[in-house]
Amino acid sequence: MNYWGRRIAGALLVLGLVLALNFLLFRLMPGDPVASIVDPRFSPEAKEQLRRVYGLDKPLPVQFVLYVKSTLSFDFGISFLTGRPVMDELRSRVPNTAILLGTSLLLSAALGTWLGIKAALRRGSLLERCVLWSGALSFSFPSFFIQLLLLMLFASMIPIFPLRGTLSVPPPPGGAALLVDYLRHMALPVLSLVLLGFGGWAIYVRNLTVKILGEDFILMARARGLPRKNILRGHVFRTMLPPLLTIFLLSLPGIVSGAVITETVFSLHGVGRFLLEAVTGHDYPAAGAAFFLLSLLTVACNLLSDLLYGVADPRVRLERGNR
Amino acid sequence: MRDLRTRWSFWCLLLMVLTALFGGRLFDAPPEREVAAPFSKPLWIDRDLPPTKELRLTADAPSLRVDWRFAPPSRFSIRIDSSAGESGRFVEWRKPGALAPLRLAPLKAGFEADGRDIAFKRSLGLPPFGDASASLFSEQGEYELSLSGEGDFDGSVVVKLEGGRWGVLGTDQRGRDIAALFVAGVRVSLIVGIFATLLATFLGTSLGLASGYLGGWVDSILMRIVDLLLSIPLLPVLMALAALWGKGLWQLVLILSIFSWMGTARTVRALVLTLRDAPYIEGLRGLGAPSGYILRKHLLPETFPVLLATMTLGVPGAILSEAGLSFLGLSDPRVISWGRMLHEAHSFGAFTAGAWWMLLPPGLGIALLCLVFLDLGKFLEERVDPRLRKGVRP
Amino acid sequence: MISIRNLSITYGRMTSRGRSGETEAVKNLTLSVEKGRLFALAGESGSGKSSVLMAIPGLLPEGTRVSGEILLDGRNLAALTEEELNALRWRRIALIPQGAMNSFTPVLTVGRHIEEVLDVHLGLSKSAARERTGELFGMAGLDASLASRYSHELSGGQKQRAAIALALACDPDWLLCDEPTTALDVITQKGIVDTLKSLVDRKGVGMLLVSHDLPLAASACSRLYIMKNGALVEEGAPREIVARPKNPHTAALMNALLELEREE
Repeated sequence: MNYWGRRIAGALLVLGLVLALNFLLFRLMPGDPVASIVDPRFSPEAKEQLRRVYGLDKPLPVQFVLYVKSTLSFDFGISFLTGRPVMDELRSRVPNTAILLGTSLLLSAALGTWLGIKAALRRGSLLERCVLWSGALSFSFPSFFIQLLLLMLFASMIPIFPLRGTLSVPPPPGGAALLVDYLRHMALPVLSLVLLGFGGWAIYVRNLTVKILGEDFILMARARGLPRKNILRGHVFRTMLPPLLTIFLLSLPGIVSGAVITETVFSLHGVGRFLLEAVTGHDYPAAGAAFFLLSLLTVACNLLSDLLYGVADPRVRLERGNR
Repeated sequence: MRDLRTRWSFWCLLLMVLTALFGGRLFDAPPEREVAAPFSKPLWIDRDLPPTKELRLTADAPSLRVDWRFAPPSRFSIRIDSSAGESGRFVEWRKPGALAPLRLAPLKAGFEADGRDIAFKRSLGLPPFGDASASLFSEQGEYELSLSGEGDFDGSVVVKLEGGRWGVLGTDQRGRDIAALFVAGVRVSLIVGIFATLLATFLGTSLGLASGYLGGWVDSILMRIVDLLLSIPLLPVLMALAALWGKGLWQLVLILSIFSWMGTARTVRALVLTLRDAPYIEGLRGLGAPSGYILRKHLLPETFPVLLATMTLGVPGAILSEAGLSFLGLSDPRVISWGRMLHEAHSFGAFTAGAWWMLLPPGLGIALLCLVFLDLGKFLEERVDPRLRKGVRP
Repeated sequence: MISIRNLSITYGRMTSRGRSGETEAVKNLTLSVEKGRLFALAGESGSGKSSVLMAIPGLLPEGTRVSGEILLDGRNLAALTEEELNALRWRRIALIPQGAMNSFTPVLTVGRHIEEVLDVHLGLSKSAARERTGELFGMAGLDASLASRYSHELSGGQKQRAAIALALACDPDWLLCDEPTTALDVITQKGIVDTLKSLVDRKGVGMLLVSHDLPLAASACSRLYIMKNGALVEEGAPREIVARPKNPHTAALMNALLELEREE
């Protein structure tokens, strides 16, 4: 089997195992799920119906097959807590989470990369020391602490930003006003994530840049009389691209956890908070759906980063082609 | 290990461990006890607000003078304990410059009153919705609390004045002393951090040794499992497990360790792979030494230095995970942890009350603990791998 | 002519905490290189010969102290700024590094390296650059199709020739070769050395060849310098040095080599 085949097969295997894990996690909880979750005031008939709909009365293997079938067709059933289809709940929330995570990741990566390169070029400077320290600090401070602080400072003490929510209640009419309102609500969450994230990037990029600058081929680029800008852009940065791209994609699943916490702190209408509510409320369909999506995202990102790395770094490409 | 003593993190850690072990003795009340009004500010802020005080009259001290230089207390209560019943005497309150004292309460066993009780207010001649504190503490100056009449009195009269201030770090939404909670929280963070990491290290080392030494299908399977576990998003899984399997402290430790052994396993495996074919190991095998012996007496000790460093660096991760889960509300509500304190600050309106003293101590505590372990870990890492030491080029 | 006078090189080390530690690599060296001739600088590893070579185009690491003069057309290269040096690099002086060295940027094709210098230094258009790249490859003894390969796809000998092609791109007057035959098999070595010699003869460049392979250096050059521990211990025509080495160390080396030859 060639490179692509092996990678994709591996991803499918992981996905399959995640589905199994997902399934087991929720079905094997002690106690009768329907009884303990659903409103005890429901009639026995209603409970019976729910039991049938979710297949909870069938033997486990059959349940698993049903589960896999419906999950793969993105039919996640009906939420225990709200009674609405889970897919609908998710549909309104996914964009918010995507925007939150996407924007903050891009901004942290950009800021961190810029600072990291600058720090590497100015070794021994104050900037470099700050960069090295900021990484340790941003790792040690719990994200929700920084976010709570920001909230207290800029939403409570100095009320520039709103305290909670994705949009004001009721949302303002008109496209422009709505957009501004949305931005005002998302500003603090995104700002907090960038603040927490740029440090790690900066350190990684700084270390990578220092390593690359010490390489022979950079010395040779200088020997060829190339101007500094050309060397930085065409040789240093170009060499950094493959690992940067990989880290970028690989960090995506990681910030999913950030989404859960951030959305909780700022009470945002997103998938993360949805997951928390589903898990604490023992809402199987909802929790299972959120889980599956997150695992899918993780597997997809790992696969994507593998493939893209192969494209960006010719050394890896060769390895594959000639085998 | 002499240079260990020069590092700030070592002393800090020592201080934290001592606090965890003996800190409780600094306070007379257990941390869950309500000591003052909710959201009281720390004593050193806003000195116009009155502190929370207790005025106590006993047989030996039948009268008390109080120099009151603040605004009136937000609340007060009075409580009389005595073996005798009615005594015909009264508890009196003299305002500064007043000619005659006020009668606060009859000196009767079991008498209790709160400043908000309407009956109590009426007994003082105040309108039913007036502010008893404000009228009793109408000005700044010297007040006197005493007993009328003569005679023996065994028992105590306790007047509790709740101001807006208490203690070093104020109080939370339930009136609990934050300094006491903070000290209690050190214990949880240290316990979870250290034990979860210990367990994960133990697990990772065993599996890493097996994987590296035995190779073959054992190795393949274990590495596949590692990849699988690494590709599962951590927090959601922790959330689910915590919600489903119970919120106890030790469950948390177990769950955290199940998801943190992978890094150690990989490192140990790499180490074993390099050592496995070393000449002296080959020699031992040639002499007929069983694998278990080789692993135990030779390969395992080689891993210790690296393990110590890896473990120390892994503790912050466990501390942060526990804090995160507690913050989300997925931990035992009866267990005081810093994450839990932040959860309560968030859920019970610390913002609207502007109670930043609820936020800063636990958050800074977590950060400090993490930095301590990161610094120690870096120190240990440098000792293990001389290439990383400052100034030496790899 | 490139004239090096009283050159001393001392290395420091730069870390995130500044400079620390020192090593004296070259002590008060004087030598010169003439146009149209191949001069060789030989010595053991650590003798300082590569440092001398790298000092000429100003490529020593940051924090290195250099004293003395490196004169090219009356200008002291050791006193020039980076910008002034950049004007000379590759156009007047080109470096041919060790083939074993990672001297090509791994994510770019070897042809791209040549096109880049042709663009930056000579302002050639893309098509003109591509044509010239083909020519240069031919001069270095390589098939033009290899230009679209990456350095890790080439064999040791091909990489070395690609480095030669790259060095010739801007038609420099001076070629500095650092261990051009290390890590290559003997037959490839001979091919490379022949190519280098023909460049000197046909194009009239001045070449300073650094090598720890004494016989090779002696056979290729018209003037031989030998360094030991940072100082020059022999200089002169190779045949004379072989016959009458002044330095006991060189004598011992020569004896060892002569013995081998005699046995054959």
